[in-house]
Amino acid sequence: MVVPDQIGFGLSEKPHDHDVHTLDNHAANIVALLDRLDLREVTFVCHDWGGPTGLAALATRPDRASAVAVMSTWAWVSPSSEFHHRVLPWRLMHAPVVGSHLLGRQAAMPGRGMYLSVVNRERFTTHGMPGYVEVLGDPDERALTWIWPRSIPLGRDSDITTERFIWLEEQVRGLALPATVIWGREDDVFTPDTFAAQWHDIWPHAEGTHLVTGRHFLQEDSGAEIGGLLADFAGRALRAAGSRR
Amino acid sequence: MSSAVIVEPAERRPAGHRSVPLLAEHQLDHYPEFGDALAATFALRDDPFGPPGLLRVGARFYELVFVGYSGRPFPAGVRVAALVPGLEPLDEQQVDLDLWAVLTWLVTQVGGDWTVEALATTAGIYRVPGADRRP
Repeated sequence: MVVPDQIGFGLSEKPHDHDVHTLDNHAANIVALLDRLDLREVTFVCHDWGGPTGLAALATRPDRASAVAVMSTWAWVSPSSEFHHRVLPWRLMHAPVVGSHLLGRQAAMPGRGMYLSVVNRERFTTHGMPGYVEVLGDPDERALTWIWPRSIPLGRDSDITTERFIWLEEQVRGLALPATVIWGREDDVFTPDTFAAQWHDIWPHAEGTHLVTGRHFLQEDSGAEIGGLLADFAGRALRAAGSRR
Repeated sequence: MSSAVIVEPAERRPAGHRSVPLLAEHQLDHYPEFGDALAATFALRDDPFGPPGLLRVGARFYELVFVGYSGRPFPAGVRVAALVPGLEPLDEQQVDLDLWAVLTWLVTQVGGDWTVEALATTAGIYRVPGADRRP
């Protein structure tokens, strides 16, 4: 299993040059990882921004993939999240200068923002939050926490990723891989009735939706259950791929 | 109550003060009305290469250094810095309160969908220092 920390997060390097942090550059990082490790018959597991980046990498290297799982993520311009259109709190949180202060200097993400995005907040505070907070100790290292929100296409003149998302939707609609959809039942950012349902429109053959306890960061509440679902799914996908050879 | 933010003429920049970077914003054009508000306040479209914008919060001064990038409307970015006397250390707690006042002032300048009430509520949700000081 390979679980890459995205450049700019976790234990990966955190470039301070904001121009590094584009959707295309981050997707290309995943492509480079696939090539460098020469990974084959990969089951892609894509959560949140791991969807646009990981699925773009999959679309660039389809021969390396054997299956795909999506969790609280998206790969299209429309439908968009009603939450993302609201000034309060989403757009204000990352608005110019405000975002630099709230998310950079005051570390609203991953601290309070993550806390509000899980179901069992007491457990997360003790067992999960330190791992997110301690690796983003400097305001300059938190740049992605306001650059990613600004990279979500919402039909505005200032959108910067629309073309890539249009391309991405075309690509994922063309995939015929085994697929599964896993979603946080309480996700109020990418609500399951709209976003999980859209995946089944794109991939009518997909398994699920497996609803688990969780808001947007569902793995914090249902990690073991999700792990079991993924191990079962990936195992069956690999066996099916082996039997086709 | 937030302290009032006063736009001062550039020539009132206090002597003997050093500039301490606080915030760096590289994407004013994400919501262009923010850049437009700053451009109007400091007449940047008339003189893009003039001195930094100067703000006073109480007795403390802050400067706004506007940044341009090829191919993007000016100002594309802004750096906010505290002007601190001599070699005195920065008072971080006071700076947090003053930055809150500056954000409140900025949102007021931008107007439209962007309201001080929404800013205060957002900052309250994320427990930002100064957020309890509603206007």
